[in-house]
Amino acid sequence: MTEPTIAIQDLSYRYRGTKENAIEGINLTLESGEFLVLMGPTEAGKSTLATCINGLIPHFHKGKLEGQVVVCGKNTRDHTVSQMAEDVGLVFQDFEAQLFSTSVELEIAFGPENFAVSREEIAQRIDENLAYVGLGDFRKRPPSTLSGGQKQKLAIASVLALQPKVLVMDEPTTDLDPISKMGIYEITGRLRKRSDLTLLVVEHETEEVLQADRIALLKDGRLIRVGPAREILRDVDLFENMGLMPLGIVRFFKDIGAPELPLTPDEAVTAWRRSGWQISCEHYDALVAKEREAEQAISAQEPLIRCRDLEFNYPGGVKALDGIDLDIYPGDIVAIVGQNGSGKTTLAKHFNGLLLPTGGSVSVNGKTTQEQGIFRLGQLVGYVFQNPDHQIFSETVFDEVSFGPRLRGLPEEEVRARVTETLKAVGLEGTEEEDPFSMTKSGRQRVAVAAVLAVQPDVLILDEPTTGLDYREQLSMMEMVRQLNENGSTIIFITHHMWVVAEYARKVFVIKDGRLFLEGTTREVFSHEQELLEASLRPPHFIQFTNLLGKTLLRPAELLACTEGGEG
Amino acid sequence: MDSELYLDYNTPYHRLDARTKILVFAAVFIGALLFQDPRWLLPTVLLVLAQLLVSRSTRNLHRIRFVLIVMSASSVILWNFFAGGETPLFWVFDVESMLYSVSRTFVILSIVTMGAILISTTRNEELIMGMIKMGLPYRVGFAISTSLRLVPTVASNLMTISQAQRSRGLDLDSGNILERLKKFLPLLVPVFISSIRNTNIFGMALESRGFGAREDRTFYLEMHMTSTDWIVLAFCLVYVGVSIWLNLAGYGRIEGLTRF
Repeated sequence: MTEPTIAIQDLSYRYRGTKENAIEGINLTLESGEFLVLMGPTEAGKSTLATCINGLIPHFHKGKLEGQVVVCGKNTRDHTVSQMAEDVGLVFQDFEAQLFSTSVELEIAFGPENFAVSREEIAQRIDENLAYVGLGDFRKRPPSTLSGGQKQKLAIASVLALQPKVLVMDEPTTDLDPISKMGIYEITGRLRKRSDLTLLVVEHETEEVLQADRIALLKDGRLIRVGPAREILRDVDLFENMGLMPLGIVRFFKDIGAPELPLTPDEAVTAWRRSGWQISCEHYDALVAKEREAEQAISAQEPLIRCRDLEFNYPGGVKALDGIDLDIYPGDIVAIVGQNGSGKTTLAKHFNGLLLPTGGSVSVNGKTTQEQGIFRLGQLVGYVFQNPDHQIFSETVFDEVSFGPRLRGLPEEEVRARVTETLKAVGLEGTEEEDPFSMTKSGRQRVAVAAVLAVQPDVLILDEPTTGLDYREQLSMMEMVRQLNENGSTIIFITHHMWVVAEYARKVFVIKDGRLFLEGTTREVFSHEQELLEASLRPPHFIQFTNLLGKTLLRPAELLACTEGGEG
Repeated sequence: MDSELYLDYNTPYHRLDARTKILVFAAVFIGALLFQDPRWLLPTVLLVLAQLLVSRSTRNLHRIRFVLIVMSASSVILWNFFAGGETPLFWVFDVESMLYSVSRTFVILSIVTMGAILISTTRNEELIMGMIKMGLPYRVGFAISTSLRLVPTVASNLMTISQAQRSRGLDLDSGNILERLKKFLPLLVPVFISSIRNTNIFGMALESRGFGAREDRTFYLEMHMTSTDWIVLAFCLVYVGVSIWLNLAGYGRIEGLTRF
């Protein structure tokens, strides 16, 4: 029997300054060539476990380590991170911070240079690895000019250039659009076929892990279950209990009581045909008619935000928006989607006057944004930035949330009342005296939303409200947003999470290369799979499955209500 | 948003070897400090301006124009307190001290401009390589270049953060300088926190790719001195030589200037 590539024994670790172990009693072995996916909710210890493998724990993060990690025969205790780097490559979630060179080729050269590889050999490795990840044409480009997906591919190539035996990726696709995600997973798919490379990937998006050999589920620092991927993915109830997103397709077939549970859209279509079920046209038409009615009622109003031939050039001449016409009506809940760098955020920043058009016009409540200025518009249109850490600066939640109302000169009692009210709305009652910096990401996100809500804007723009949150946190964040919408706020959110769009948006705007590429109700937009693909987007598997059946159904419950016939 | 310091043009200045550019910087530094009289400094100033135009680095100076203006204005005034002369103008200002202040301002501006030209035309790695080839240890060179690398990161963070606060109604565009500074202060908290987070990941990424794994290290980047480099260096030598000779011969001083 050969030695396992990674052998983790009774591993526990506690970060310095914390009271509880981040991971506890982990036992896990990976054979050479294996592909394991590590899943779990936020704070489960996934990243901690991942960084144990190349020695960042215990060498970079100081703390108390028990048990041991042996990778390729090297005990991480006795080898520095740099020494481990020859055997273990690590790719991080943040694709900005892990790149530091001024050109693509130098980025790749950095690793081999540290191990005194000869110049000819480095040149060869640059060629090979750029070709491998499909960045061959970008050799001389500065990494800062690449798209998010390309940056992440570069990060992978730069790590592969060290010819490691183990590749660990910590949520490599979290910040990427669906097609960039698929690009990364296409690379992972090829890497997995290499028998000399062991892959360990931390991921929380369920559809992406279908190709793994095994899945390990982690919760509260402990391994809950380890097993073959296809077996574990079928256990949708376990996923839901753990706060992970279950596969929609499995959910549906389980709920309808099918004997076998398909995993992919193709498998699902086969299973569907075999069972003899049909979609009831009557139910489906009623569903669509109801949506059409809602659409008519909403668009009969005066638009709240109106863009006409909107153009925007960044200083230096880059055209970010090119002739956008759109209307957003009061009380609506709309999603803006598109590839990384397509202009989504640039567009949204026009709605509150943060950016002013260089051509065409944007009106809010009938007046152009130029006329109103950001200070007055800020009262009307609240904008929650993607990263709450860019926004929060106060020592207590109370100070943070009261910042806006105070700036606007409200009396102190009114300020207090508003803070209490908004904290309640975001589900953070009684946290007034807490330090926002010590809260979890989702907590900080909520504080950021509360701080914007406290000025009582009519419109709320949320830039990537669910990024970096786990499924359960995403759900509760979006339920809160839906509640705000039901109480009368107009909601505009930007997102990469297609299931969030499917579940919560009424209307969708698809932006591609600075133009409005597609618009319609969520159902209409998701029925245009081909066009979405051109805009680097892809509906969730479940919707792809129903599209294959000829109708677009957004969630398992909808299909359940429309299914007739068969033996069920 | 583009906030890189390096400006990706292909000018003759960009094509110079990093070592040459570092030496040109040093030459101007020495040359500028040898003269007190602004008239004698004019050739140096013109030389710097010519380099600025050839290298097309004006954009980076434009970015720090506010700092440059404040610095120049205070320099023209403040040096008068540290120098005196024989021909009084008013209060502490004399003709000689005024001339001296103007020349000190020229010196500061020349050196800042040369620094800006150096980092606008030289890639980070080339700068490290140049410094290493001139005898600096690799880690020291890397540390210097890392601090330069931080500038665009912090600048773009500051940009996003000020946008986030302006959306919340913080008015950063009105009021006098003191009031504006006061409003900017709270922004520094998120700027520092996100910079520290970034730096943390940067450190991890460095180590994960074997930074400092061994004592020896290879360099992929190749650097060659061309004939242009040698011509520029010869010119620098002549410039510094002539400047020193003129200085020793007593030229370029301001008669009647006393410094405190």
